[in-house]
Amino acid sequence: MPAILHNDVLLYKGSNLFRQRLLLSTLSGRAIKIEEIRSTHDDPGLREYEVNLIRLLDKITNGSRVELSETGTSLYFQPGILVGGQINHSCCTQRGIGYYLEVLLALGPFCKEPLNAVLQGVTHHDLDVSVDKIKSAALPILLKFILVDDGLELKVVRRGAPPLGGGEIVFKCPVRRHLRPLQWSKWGLVKRIRGVVYALRVSPTMANRVVETAKGVMLNFLPDVYINTDQCRGPNAGKSPAFGISLLAETNDKTFYCAESKSVEAGTGDATLPEDLGRECALKLLDEIHRGGAVDSAFQWILALWMALGQKDVSECIVGPLSDYTIKFLQHLKEFFGVMFKLEVLSSDDDEMSSDDEEKTSSAQKVKMTCIGIGYVNISKRTL
Amino acid sequence: MADDAIFDKKKSHRAKHAGRKAEKKKKKNQVDQSNLTARQRNPKAFAIQSAVRAERQFRRREDVISKKQHIPQVDKTPLDPPPIVVAVVGPPRVGKTTLINNLIKSFIKTNVTNTNGPITIVTSKKRRLTLIECNNDINSMIDIAKCADLVLLLCDASFGFEMEIFEFLNICQVHGMPKIMGVLTHLDMIKNAKKLKMTKKTLKHRFWTEVYSGAKLFYLSGILHGEYLRNEIKNLSRFISVMKFRPLSWRMTHAYLLADRLEDITNQENIRKDPKVNRDVVLYGYVRGVPMMKDSVVHIAGVGDMKISELSYLPDPCPLPNSEKKRHLMERERQIYAPFSGVGGIVYDKDAVYIELKGSHSHKQEDEEADEKKALLKNVVETTETVDEQMQEIGLKLFSGGAVIYPDMVKDDEYLQHSKTQDSSDENESGDESDFENDSGIDQSEKETKTSSKLPWDNNSGSEEEGDDDDDDDDDGKLNTETKGSKNESNSDDSDSEKSETEEEDYNTKWKEKLSEKATMAYFERQKTSKNIMKLVYGDFEIGNKTKQTKEREDTDDSDDEEIGGLFKKVTSSQKKKHMEKEQLDHDECSFFYSLDKPNLRDWTKDTYKQIIINNFVTGKRSADEDAEELLQLDDASDGDDEMYGDFEDLETGEKHVNAEKSADASKEELGSKRKADNTKSEILNKKLKLKAKFDAEYDNPDDHRIKGDHSYYESLKAEALKQSELNKSVFENLDNGLRIEVEGFRPGLYVRMLFKNMPSEFVTNFDSSYPLLIGALNMAEQNIGFVSCKVKKHRWYKKILKTNDPLIISLGWRRFQTLPIYSKIEDDMKCRYLKYTPEHVTCNMHFYGPITPQNSGFLALQTVNNASNEIKQLGFRIAATGSVNEINKSTQIMKKLKLVGTPLKIYKKTAFIKDMFTTTLEVAKFEGARVKTVSGIRGQIKKALNKPEGAFRATFEDKILMSDVIFCRTWFKVDVTKFYAPVVNLLLPIGNKNAWEGMKTKGQLKRERNIKHEANNDSMYTDIVRQPKVFKPLVIPKALQKALPYRLKPKAKTMTLTDTITKEKFSNRIAVIKNPHEQKVSNVMKMLKTNFEKKKEVQKELTSEKMKKYKKQQEEVEWRKLKRQKEMKKKICRHLSKMSNKSQKQM
Repeated sequence: MPAILHNDVLLYKGSNLFRQRLLLSTLSGRAIKIEEIRSTHDDPGLREYEVNLIRLLDKITNGSRVELSETGTSLYFQPGILVGGQINHSCCTQRGIGYYLEVLLALGPFCKEPLNAVLQGVTHHDLDVSVDKIKSAALPILLKFILVDDGLELKVVRRGAPPLGGGEIVFKCPVRRHLRPLQWSKWGLVKRIRGVVYALRVSPTMANRVVETAKGVMLNFLPDVYINTDQCRGPNAGKSPAFGISLLAETNDKTFYCAESKSVEAGTGDATLPEDLGRECALKLLDEIHRGGAVDSAFQWILALWMALGQKDVSECIVGPLSDYTIKFLQHLKEFFGVMFKLEVLSSDDDEMSSDDEEKTSSAQKVKMTCIGIGYVNISKRTL
Repeated sequence: MADDAIFDKKKSHRAKHAGRKAEKKKKKNQVDQSNLTARQRNPKAFAIQSAVRAERQFRRREDVISKKQHIPQVDKTPLDPPPIVVAVVGPPRVGKTTLINNLIKSFIKTNVTNTNGPITIVTSKKRRLTLIECNNDINSMIDIAKCADLVLLLCDASFGFEMEIFEFLNICQVHGMPKIMGVLTHLDMIKNAKKLKMTKKTLKHRFWTEVYSGAKLFYLSGILHGEYLRNEIKNLSRFISVMKFRPLSWRMTHAYLLADRLEDITNQENIRKDPKVNRDVVLYGYVRGVPMMKDSVVHIAGVGDMKISELSYLPDPCPLPNSEKKRHLMERERQIYAPFSGVGGIVYDKDAVYIELKGSHSHKQEDEEADEKKALLKNVVETTETVDEQMQEIGLKLFSGGAVIYPDMVKDDEYLQHSKTQDSSDENESGDESDFENDSGIDQSEKETKTSSKLPWDNNSGSEEEGDDDDDDDDDGKLNTETKGSKNESNSDDSDSEKSETEEEDYNTKWKEKLSEKATMAYFERQKTSKNIMKLVYGDFEIGNKTKQTKEREDTDDSDDEEIGGLFKKVTSSQKKKHMEKEQLDHDECSFFYSLDKPNLRDWTKDTYKQIIINNFVTGKRSADEDAEELLQLDDASDGDDEMYGDFEDLETGEKHVNAEKSADASKEELGSKRKADNTKSEILNKKLKLKAKFDAEYDNPDDHRIKGDHSYYESLKAEALKQSELNKSVFENLDNGLRIEVEGFRPGLYVRMLFKNMPSEFVTNFDSSYPLLIGALNMAEQNIGFVSCKVKKHRWYKKILKTNDPLIISLGWRRFQTLPIYSKIEDDMKCRYLKYTPEHVTCNMHFYGPITPQNSGFLALQTVNNASNEIKQLGFRIAATGSVNEINKSTQIMKKLKLVGTPLKIYKKTAFIKDMFTTTLEVAKFEGARVKTVSGIRGQIKKALNKPEGAFRATFEDKILMSDVIFCRTWFKVDVTKFYAPVVNLLLPIGNKNAWEGMKTKGQLKRERNIKHEANNDSMYTDIVRQPKVFKPLVIPKALQKALPYRLKPKAKTMTLTDTITKEKFSNRIAVIKNPHEQKVSNVMKMLKTNFEKKKEVQKELTSEKMKKYKKQQEEVEWRKLKRQKEMKKKICRHLSKMSNKSQKQM
């Protein structure tokens, strides 16, 4: 649903895509107003985790103005200048750290000072990408845009599962004046599979059982499979019991696909079998590989963002089928920055024609995204 | 001798015909020596003789090369570039207008009567010029410097360089140096030839120091019949037409426009009601710099920030000739376009045709004309004109009474209706499901349009597309009926029937039968989604201006249009959509591919599915051009050929077989057969050949054996930039124009029309075409306002120094504005220390409240833009300071030194109560722990506030302080920057008064104007200092101490210390003695005797001393005689002795 523009303020309705809107508003410097936030719900207004996100944005910016209505159902946000620097934030446990970390990752390169954020909370959550996934699949994407890795780092100090969390991560991100244009149309073939199985406050055998099944599935395709177990103890294990797995597939052109699953929250009643979990995750990874593209499907939006924020040159990337989230994000990019992507569905049949007929169905639809960057420069950074 | 000659005769050389040397020579002669370089012919002569010298030569060569290298930049010049802006700048009465007229005449052979505003002309097959004259106003000079590509700087040689020229050069340096060519005029005023030569030389050198040494300076030697000499103008125009330009960083990041036409399209009725009503103004011009985005904010220099409410492109009014092969321009291709000057005849616009009626029809008169007449005329004109896009608007007018319908909206309608029917067919589906269905609905309707390779929402395309659009509509209609017919069928069947040709579909349907989970189905449906993904993503957006209006109307008209039969369906569908949106409204945000629903995954371990992805792994089968096996085979095949037909050496016989031609033939054959067999293989072969050629070029470089430096890094950078620029140019080339503009923006070189709503009426009523109308696009966040920190240096020619918080007019980016700066100095700890005045000859820091502008953009500061001659004369040079932006923030941290002074209230040992430093306890609380210091240097610390005298506090010191001590506390005080930002709106001022913009005045200015005298503070007056002499108390040494002192230092007994006073006292108390006469006589006699005696003694003393002298003299004489005698004696004796010795020798 396109926004209504009123006095240069973008007007939105509903709490949907709250994070995208705040993120883009901060980057573009345009004020937004969101109305009817859960106005018809029993529990109207902003949720705790959303307020927490606003807090985080307030910490890394200078001069932001936030006006909440009394009921919390409408919000006016006028962004300030991105400052960055040393930040300590305890995230709301309703959502994972990934929810906040993705925002920091997107904003990181455009801060005044290199970002050094310590986030506490839930490191693995069902709704959000885990910190492992960001570390292994998203940071390489940023590296493509900034080229030189001077201090890009994500360290998982402690893991923490919902509902109580107790995890901690340290995220460091260098600043750039502008991002390079990127052409990325080859992603190669999967050459190795790595993974981490963590077990927090549960028996270590759980981890081993997960490894066994996950590896069993993956060995059907590739011999180079290696899965670590991370058995956390004491304070490093967070506050709630859980176990989970994240698998990483690396191609020979430095594309990373990542899939993850975790056990259901303790206390909800049903329990997860570790074997099921391992198999589920492996299938998810295969699904991701099937989708293909230059980036993992969960990070299409961040790729699109950085492409759009590049210099006034053409960026070109090929990704797998667009997720709903990415589609929404592209729409928002158009609204905030006026940048429109040229999207082409690549007919994948060309290559396959020669091979047998059965395989024609094989590769999923690929989308070629082309855009001209808006020439975004980091206006916060100081020059001497 | 003859024999000798015979023997001496050398044997003649017999060249060898066989053997090693002969072979060598033969081999050498085989190669054609004629076209070889000396180095190749005789390599030994060029061998390195001295390693040191070779090293030096190499180093020097590398130095020269690296000096030439620049960081490669991506070339962003478009394929058909906008006209080059040539600005003619100079003080008044130097001949600017004459020069423009002459240039136009020399380029396009027509006379232009009055030159006003920019004049665009076609000069060659690839180049257009926009000539613009700069009037004598510093505002115009700044704007011109920001947009000119080439500046012709005119100077009256008989007068010399004037201040304006130096000012302009400084402006240029700050905003990015365009190319500058100097032109000297009025050379005929200097009669003396020698003087002329001298003037030329001095002016040239002065010009060189300003621009760069070697800058081109033209001489226009005189005027003949009111024109410059034809030859000289010809030369000048040649120089202009071959000029090359360097990209400037600001203009390579910002789009801009030099407006060459203005129309006021406000409703005449509104103007009649209120002449001051805000106007709707249309401005035209060529886009320059980088592509201009549709909904960007622009700054109109001299007016302010504006939002473009409508942007569209028009056919080029002054097009370049189409590329036919011919050397010269045809006469009719030498076009001129200058609406402000009244040249150009008929002008086609988007919604009107304008006919130039030769001067009787200027803008102002238009406004005054009667409404009816004008409307009538306009109507007539409108009906006659046949601009293609009008079709769509006509559609709008037809339905203007009730609902509004456009051709594309009809289209929209259909697709909505279509999706609606589908939705209704499976209503019991979940919300997400229906969402997806809608998507697929779109792609169904889009499929057809895509096949005709046209995008339905494209409105801006030319006339030929109009018909196509209609076709599309028809197609859509057909499709619609088709789908309507099949709407009773089940959903899966529906999709089946559409794409039944493809195997994929078959496969999917089969697969679908097995699984019933709807979410999974949705996922797979999405996988084979639509070809037209653009519509899926941007379908909600209006593309092109007209659809935007429809949307708005649609939104507003939703409620009241329900009764209208034609639109009934549309309304219900939009309601449906709204309902859907509402459901989506409060979804949790999740970036995963399956956002919230969890689909059942395919079981990839099953063999059928495994086959699908097995080739995504390195262990799988690869595509033909990557498969190692096939490549190897290919290699083998080609290598085999080489072995069969290529060169080889027979080792046994030492014979070489060369069979180049044959092998080439063979490979050709080979290639041909391969091509037939497999296309990819031939491609690979080509690739290989290319690679080989590259390798050869790199490694056996026969011509030059010099040692070369490694420039691969630079080369790769350059190649990267080149690749990027090629990609930039090529990637959207084949795209449909309307969509291309959507994606890329309005690329430079397009002639665009931009509509601004709510412009101040003064802009139109006070319009003066001699002022440049510069429209600069603002990038992201540049329309915001914040605190800008920059480094600044007062110009060395500016006579005053600048004071903090004095209003300053700054030209930064596209803008000119007035603000209140605060100067500061950055200390070593990066603290900004407040300065009251700018320092001389060094840069300092400056903070002001103003528009956010990227770092490193240059700016210049003026104290006034007023052109009042007396003020200019007083100032001399108007540019007060120059600098560049450092940092942008939303708050500032400028500190001023502050010394708080207090006095002791009460002193204990090391503790003291201090008063007068603060006024309240709160203030003290804020300073607890702060360091304080007395004048004598005793350090201390503030401890805690006292409650009795308000503001007093307890402090501890390292030593006991005195009551007379003054206590200081040194702190910093934060100075706030005043939030004042006022754009210079000189274009809104009345004509003839545009150069008199006056913003905020300084307090001093106001006082001077109103003749307010400042009353001096008495405390600040200088008076003579009167100092009382200091009186010290006597030193009292305690007794205990006295005892301990050594005797030497001990205060001595009272007699000793107080002798003088005591004797005086003693004698003062004595009785006077009075003598009797006898005694008096006696004493007299005694006195006389005494004097006699003394006199006698004196005389005697004198006598004795004389005697002594005499005696001494005598004695000396005696002594001398004695010495003489002795000497002679010695002489005699010596002689005697020598004689004696001689005698004795004689005997020997």
